[in-house]
Amino acid sequence: MLGLTVACISATAQVQPEGGGQALAALVHLQSKSTAAPPRLSDGKPDLSGIWGPDVHFMYDISSALKPGEALPLQPWALKVTRERMSKDDPEANCLPLGVPRMSPYPWKIVQTGSLILLLHEGNMHSYRQIFMDGRGHPKDMDPTWFGDSIGKWDGDVLVVDTVGFNDKAWFDSAAHPHTEKMHVTERYRRVDFGHMDFDVTIDDPGAYTRPFTLYGHSHLLEHTEIMEYVCVEDRQQDLVHIVGKDARK
Amino acid sequence: MRAVNLRLIAGLGLLAIPLLAHHSFQAEFDAGNAVTITGVVTKLEWTNPHAHFYIDVKGPDGKVENWNLELASPNVLRRLGWSREIFKIGDTVTVFCARAKDGSNLASARTVMLPDGRKMSAGSLADDPPSGK
Repeated sequence: MLGLTVACISATAQVQPEGGGQALAALVHLQSKSTAAPPRLSDGKPDLSGIWGPDVHFMYDISSALKPGEALPLQPWALKVTRERMSKDDPEANCLPLGVPRMSPYPWKIVQTGSLILLLHEGNMHSYRQIFMDGRGHPKDMDPTWFGDSIGKWDGDVLVVDTVGFNDKAWFDSAAHPHTEKMHVTERYRRVDFGHMDFDVTIDDPGAYTRPFTLYGHSHLLEHTEIMEYVCVEDRQQDLVHIVGKDARK
Repeated sequence: MRAVNLRLIAGLGLLAIPLLAHHSFQAEFDAGNAVTITGVVTKLEWTNPHAHFYIDVKGPDGKVENWNLELASPNVLRRLGWSREIFKIGDTVTVFCARAKDGSNLASARTVMLPDGRKMSAGSLADDPPSGK
């Protein structure tokens, strides 16, 4: 300690916790306000290509993405795990993947062709997802992965993505909600106009939840920016040693 | 390169942690323990996931301590108009920040006042430091 006379201030010092707050604030001025019709590819399908903003309801607690009044239908063991997990063990804090549908407070990019849609995520660990649009099914024998295997098709102007093959390692959110390898995710994306996209995510995981549930989200198109490199592990050790709850033996 | 006297003002009083509270922020920093410190820049690390800069802070006993201030990622700072050249080694800056929970000389910077008087937001939605300092 510095041994100073401390002037106590009666007014509260407002400090917004960083991370999401800072990163999200940096994107607000980039949001498109356009309500023009969404563009289409030459085959007439909606073109979802662009740089898109994150939805805060998919970051800290996915309960906030449920319909109002609903609660996550956790099985008892899953609720216990949620309560016992510690921040220092969050895969996100250790530069491991967010999985699906968790988001980081950074832009993501959709690159769309007729047979393949790529989702490029700037944040977390600079990851990608492939959505195969060529009519293939899921492989018969998959090793469980953080992002699973995704196949997609159009339902009118809605992109429907079916994903299976998840491992159980990703946390749904900072609140530490778990999932299992049984998880089956259905995402539906609709570009409502040029600058706005609605999406919903149905989670069907009989290993951790008592019934399927659906999360609702929204992204703004971001303009005058590009996704940037973000190598999470570059200096991660510097943060990890300060997180309360570290291994005291180190 | 003269170290500047420390003016340490602790903003006491609990504040409601907003819904945007990032889990690992709360595990690392104390949003209710906000201070304003002034010192001389010794180093800037422009790396992900957090940029850091270091300042030498001199206490009234003459002892100089080096503080580590954490910023947002360079990606976030760039989108807010920062650059790597925002300040130089030897500049005197004043930082409003939240102290680390482990008691070390580490804090999460909220606003940085540059030598020319400009006040840069480190990207947060923080209010200004309390008046009366």
